Formats: sequence, structure tokens, C-alpha cells
Amino acid sequence: MTMSKSAVQVSVIVYVGARRTSLEALYPEYKSGLAGLGVPYELIFVLDGPQPGYEQSLARLVADGEPITVISLTRYFGEATAIMVGFEYAGGSVILTLPAYLQVEGSEISALYSTLATADVVVSYREPRATRWFESLRRAAFHGLLRFVTRLQFRDLGCNARAMRRKVLEEIHLYGDQQRFLPVLAERQGFRVAEIAVRQSKGDRHDHTYPPRNYLRGFLDIFTVFFLVRFTKRPLRFFGMIGVATFTVGILELLYLVIARIWFSSPLADRPALLLASLLIVLGVQIFALGLLGELIIFTHGGGSKDYQVDRVIHYPDAAPASVKSPSAANPVIVA
Amino acid sequence: MYPFPKLSVIVPFYNEEDSIEPMYAAIVRAVTPLQISFEMVFVDDGSRDSTVLRGEEIARRDARVRIVKFRRNYGQTAAMAAGIQCASGEILVTMDGDLQNDPADIEQFLEKIAEGYDMVVGWRHQRQDKLISRKIPSMIANRLISRVTGVRITDNGCSLKAFRRSLIRSIPLYSEMHRFIPAMASIAGPRIAELKVRHHARQFGKSKYGLARVYKVLLDLMVIKTVTSFTARPLVWFTLLCLPLTLIGLVTLVGGLLAAIPAGGRLSLPLTGSGVIFLSAAIILMASGTLGELIYKLGDVRPDDFARLTMRLVASHESRE
Repeated sequence: MTMSKSAVQVSVIVYVGARRTSLEALYPEYKSGLAGLGVPYELIFVLDGPQPGYEQSLARLVADGEPITVISLTRYFGEATAIMVGFEYAGGSVILTLPAYLQVEGSEISALYSTLATADVVVSYREPRATRWFESLRRAAFHGLLRFVTRLQFRDLGCNARAMRRKVLEEIHLYGDQQRFLPVLAERQGFRVAEIAVRQSKGDRHDHTYPPRNYLRGFLDIFTVFFLVRFTKRPLRFFGMIGVATFTVGILELLYLVIARIWFSSPLADRPALLLASLLIVLGVQIFALGLLGELIIFTHGGGSKDYQVDRVIHYPDAAPASVKSPSAANPVIVA
Repeated sequence: MYPFPKLSVIVPFYNEEDSIEPMYAAIVRAVTPLQISFEMVFVDDGSRDSTVLRGEEIARRDARVRIVKFRRNYGQTAAMAAGIQCASGEILVTMDGDLQNDPADIEQFLEKIAEGYDMVVGWRHQRQDKLISRKIPSMIANRLISRVTGVRITDNGCSLKAFRRSLIRSIPLYSEMHRFIPAMASIAGPRIAELKVRHHARQFGKSKYGLARVYKVLLDLMVIKTVTSFTARPLVWFTLLCLPLTLIGLVTLVGGLLAAIPAGGRLSLPLTGSGVIFLSAAIILMASGTLGELIYKLGDVRPDDFARLTMRLVASHESRE
């Protein structure tokens, strides 16, 4: 590295996963974009699983004196984990994440960076977007569902070009595939999130279809985020709701059966519906108990985690406390 | 005059730009004659109006004022918790920022604390709120809370409270639990006093509560009951939950088996099946109870910490002074 750590202002974390373009095409694009910022920067490439070829070409760039750090993980850990690992090596006060393939044009990096003046996290959406109708339908469904669940509107969480202040990653611990939902979690922590339009790179315009597995995973991810965002601090609100609903259905069915037995003397003992009613009641109680266990975990282990984020404390220790007229304002008791 | 050096008045504000200045003036007017050093911690709960700006003006001219600004709105409990964390006084007084509580009441609260109480809770005996949407639900909730938790408080919803710092700092405050502070504090067995306080009708802004809280209050009550029972007798709470299940299960199972005798040994599947389901559920609940016990044991909440908090050395053969 040519630049000393302390001088670096912008750290770029590049996640190198399965999808990647050759460094010969990628690096000049990013380099020219970053040079446009006019501040010292570094790039941190995190290889998610061994990729010897890519590692070698990165090593050549390092040998050429480029400000690059390369980290290689022994196996696939997922994008969020890789980014958190890369963050440990980041020295800048601003963190950019960029994909290892041409997704947006390098010249848009400066737009991401400058929007940080009024926000803590800047996410981007590709506009105009070359895509197939089925893909845009899928995307609309995903973001619509996310909006329904979190009440936050984003247009393109699949776009990995993002900028954020250092403190965002210091506070939010990502894991698994959560990096896609970083803006949701950041908003939740009280950070200001901005979304800007960026030009899509020509290299990104290709047809790819996702296997059904990905759809299921996307749906589960939304569910996870839903739980994380809404209920981690109050599990009983979540489990209680499901538990009470199940229990109520079971009790109603049981009541119906009992009434039918007493007034219409239809035999209770031989009706399979009785089994269903008892199952529902029991299930409801157990789900509720799970919620109670969750609350117990929060109560006994949640001591260190706070429910809130303080932006700042305003205090002027030198101010004189005598401006309000009061009986003993002449000799007020002054607090240090 | 008072046996403690410093008082902190904690007031959460949420979109109360018209109230913050009068509130400040009222506190200063009420506390200054008491001859006690004090500070004010104003917590801005992510207001979108100019509450923070006006608060900052006040802080600029009075060093006794601290403004804790939240990044966004987190709710009253979080605001109280942040204020309590930030306060440096030995005695903490919390009150609402909407001018419905009267700082003139602080004096009698301090006297109660000086008498040796650990916590003093206000009671709005002439409450100036709407009857149907506010007073009646609140009355039912208070009855329910004191019945379930065993802490006899007439008015849990009143924000005007006074505590010793050591006590309130050790009580976990989370979710929307500020109305359960006395109940939660009962883990530590504090000496609690209740005082009638003045209550004014709202002058500015509008009320931030609604009827939809019933479900939340009920669930929070369950939580409180669970966590406070666990400190006293672990496992008992889950065992109580599975008693009715065991009972139903046994009755159904035995009934099903007995019914098989006149039927010539032909078992009724739904009946015996239900019995087995209920019994197995009871066993799983019991198992959850032991799991809970494990969680509790590995956690960082220790009942003896709470006991030490409020204990008094009544007599000892060696003098400790």
C-alpha cells in the first residue's frame, strides 16, 4: 500500500463472490470513479471462498502500488459476513461497498459519496434499467412485500453500490444475507437513509434467471427482517399473537362440539374434530410459552443492549443558570 | 436540608415545542426554593417540530439543563430509560412533558423519599382526561395490574414518580414498560409510597395514546408476571401453566379408557387421542420451564442483587460505621 492508513478517508469494500468480472475491466472503472472523489481512498477486496486466479491478479495490482488490501476467506460465508470482515480492515470514515462485477458505472461513485452530506446511508437504484418484464415483476413483488412488512419504500435493494458513514457499520452487525437489508436495519437504528438513481453499467445488462430456491430464500429473508425489525425486543408480541389466535380457534371449535353434544346430542367422543380442537388449543399454549421464553431471554440477557439510539447530548456546562426569575435567583445552587 | 446531595428531574418530550419552555420555568420555580442542587434532563424522543431547538436555547443559558436527543422516535419508555442513564442525581424524578403533571408536587415527593421510601408514585386523583377513552380503560388496567403483580398502586400510568437512582438503574426498562415500573421494581421489594398529585388538562399538543393499547398492556403484564415470578420461584410459573393441561388431559384420557369398558374394549380414538395430546403438551411446557430455568441461570439477573439494593441493616453486633 502506498498510502498510510491514517490518511485514508474512503474505504471501498468489494465483495468477490460467485459473480465477478475480470479485474482488467473492473479496476480501471472503479479507479477512475474513485479518483474523481479527490480524497485518499483504499480498496478492500474480500474473496468469499478461495479464488486463486482472482487472488493472483489482485496481488499483481498490489505489487504495482495500488491501495488494495486482499482478504481471502477459507469457505463461503455470505456477503454480509464478508463485508463485516472487510470492515475490520477499513480505515476510512466513509465506507463504500461495490460489487465485484460491473453493476453501475464508475462515474456514479462520486454521486454516492456526495449524497452522504445529508444522509448516513446512501443506497442506489439503477435507472434507466435494462431488464426483462418477468424480472421487473419479481422485483416489484419483492419490494412491495418488503414495503408492506417494514413500511419502508426502496426501489432496488439488489444494487450493491452503497455509501455509508463508518458508525453505521459499527452499530449494525450484519450476518448471512442481510446486507441486502442494510438500509432497512439502518433506518431502524435511526440513521438517515437516502436513495439515489445511478446509471446501470453496460456489463450488468444480461439475462439471468433465478432458480425457485432464490425466491423462497428472498421470502424467508423478508420474514427474518420483519421479525428482527419489529419483534426482537418483544417476542411475546409476535408469538403471543399467533398463540392467542390458534388457541382461540381451538377453543371456539371445542365449544361448538360441546354445544352440539349437549343440545343436539351428537356424540362428542367419536368426532375427529375433537382431535383438531385439542391440537389447536395445545399448539396455541405452546407458541405462547415460546414467546414467554423469548421474553425471559431478553430480560436476563438483554441488559447490555439498549432500546434506543441517542443522537447527541446537548449540554453547556458554562451557561449561567440565572436567567429565570425565581425567589433565590440571587444565590442559586449551581451544579457543576 | 435533604439527606441527599442532588436531584435530577427527567422529562421526555415528543413534539412538545409549546410545552418545553413553560415546563422548564415551572420546574425551576418549584425546585429552586427547596435549596437542593438539581439538574434537568430533557429527552427529545425524535420530535419533528422545534422541540430540540427550543430545548437547546434553554440549555445554552442554563447549565443545569441537558438535552438528550434521540435519532428517531423510540417511545416514552426508552426516553425515560435514556434520561435515567444520563442523570447524575441521587434522586430521580420523572414527569410528563405535556404540562399535565405539576412540578410543584416535587417537594412532597422529596419529603417522602427523605422519610425512607425508595420509590414514590403519583396518583392523579382528579384526572383531567376523557372518561370513556382514557379514564375507564386506565382504571381497569390499574386494577388488573395490581391484582396480577400484587403491587397495590392506584395509578400506574402517572409519569410523576421519584426513585433512588440505585434502584431505578437496576430495573430493566424495555418495550413499553414505563407503566410497569412499580411492578417491575417489585423484584427488588422497594418501599413504595403513593401520593396524590395535581393533574392539569392538556394545554398544547394532542394526546399520544389510544385505545389500541389494551392488547399490548395485557401481554406486557404476562411478561412482567413471568420475569418477576422467575426471580422468586423459578419453574413455578410454567408449572402453573401446565396444571390445567394436565388436568384436562388426565380427565379425557381416563374418560376415554373407562368408556372403552362397556364398549367391549373398543377405544374411542378422538377422546383418548385428545387426552394424550393434552398430557404431552403439559410435559413439553414443563420442559420449557426447565429451559427457562437454564436461561435464567445463565443470564445476568441475580435476585440477591435486588435484595441487596433495598435492604437495611437493622442491627449488628459489630459496628460498621
